[in-house]
Amino acid sequence: MIARDVMQTNFHTLEPHLTIGEAVNRFKNASQAEKKMVFGMMVVDGQDQLVGILSMFDILLFVQPKHAHIWSEMDDMDPGYLFDELLDRVKEVQVADIMTTEVVTIAPDNHLISIADIMIKQHIRRLPVTEGREVIGIVYVSDVFYHLLNKFTS
Amino acid sequence: MPVVTNKSVLTGIIVKEAMRRNVVSLPLTTSLNTSINYLIKNKINALLVTDEFQRPAGAVSKTDIMGAYYADLPLDTWVGDIMVSPLIYCYPDDGLETALDSMLKNGIHRLFVRGSNSEAIVGILAYNDVVGILYRYCHACDRSIAKARQTSPDQIKRLTVKEVMTPRISAFQESDLLVGIIERLYELQFGAVLVKDEQKKPVGVVSKTDLILAYKHGHPVTSTAESIMNAPVESCDEKSLLNDAIRQMLLKDIQRLFVHANTKDDISGVLSLTDAAQIRSGSCRACTSSRLMTA
Repeated sequence: MIARDVMQTNFHTLEPHLTIGEAVNRFKNASQAEKKMVFGMMVVDGQDQLVGILSMFDILLFVQPKHAHIWSEMDDMDPGYLFDELLDRVKEVQVADIMTTEVVTIAPDNHLISIADIMIKQHIRRLPVTEGREVIGIVYVSDVFYHLLNKFTS
Repeated sequence: MPVVTNKSVLTGIIVKEAMRRNVVSLPLTTSLNTSINYLIKNKINALLVTDEFQRPAGAVSKTDIMGAYYADLPLDTWVGDIMVSPLIYCYPDDGLETALDSMLKNGIHRLFVRGSNSEAIVGILAYNDVVGILYRYCHACDRSIAKARQTSPDQIKRLTVKEVMTPRISAFQESDLLVGIIERLYELQFGAVLVKDEQKKPVGVVSKTDLILAYKHGHPVTSTAESIMNAPVESCDEKSLLNDAIRQMLLKDIQRLFVHANTKDDISGVLSLTDAAQIRSGSCRACTSSRLMTA
């Protein structure tokens, strides 16, 4: 059983020059289209070459105030409006500015056991499948999980 | 004979209590392009650079990257080629006031915190971390503004922004070029400049962060201030309480607040986190007398 057998070939991508606001909308639309939560998306350039990956965590880390622990001590104010103003200031920032560029990828003929190994050791939940730099699919941890453990479910 | 020493809120607090433990480090061979991503995503001003054995080798700050932009270095230049070394350290058990003195003396904005027994870096201490702890102490204090507001009138003389701010600013026209702004930021060691329109009305701000983003987005240094500035200008009244201004900076994650006098168009100074940290008090001068810290 290799990556090519289990990978999803229908996936959503982001372009490097989208703003963070546009990326948030893409996450929402992708989740609705897939009828499941999309937590991370690959970023590809005009030639379908993989240039990075952007997850919800990357966006949250970026918008989260550095001193968030102080917010929880505020009993005399509602910080909600401050957060809104904070979001207004990030509009110049693009997907390419905060995406992870060191992406671990797999080849289509990688075996599921070795894919599971990468996912466990590096805490990765999705691995792009590439030929050269071109993305041809993506393997999610759930794909690996159910294919490796189907003995229990069949 | 009794020895009189000046006390501030920070007296008795050690570096360990204020430092940030999550130090972002990158290998020498990381490109400037990638390092900008780490600075932006983590909203930090500097990165630790490590050698091939993961030992600390130097630091790269937004200022250094701005210098690379000015010098027209390609974005795939390694951080190792522009990093500054050796690092300036402090230790977790150092007093916060000693650490602040060292930052002031060396003209730097952060200290790396070295573990007592090894070369490992266990934390980083920057001005905003110091201001964060100041704010929390003042907020929890019996004399805090929040408590005083419940029992008006407030008996304590509070510090205002005007007493602490830097009473000069550097302003540029919208049509001025980034290259001139970079030179001025270097010269004055400021983090941002104000941009005014032809009627001298403040219309935006260009900070080091905006400049390194412009570098990454491929704007030449001959672009105009208007093309990358951040608008509108965030400012506070010079009569505002220091405490409220600090809170605004911390919660909104901004490193400086322009200060206006009578009207918003009349910018009279700038309050930076450095100013706020060096005054060593978040709201009043009560701690500067001889009050014992019991927190």
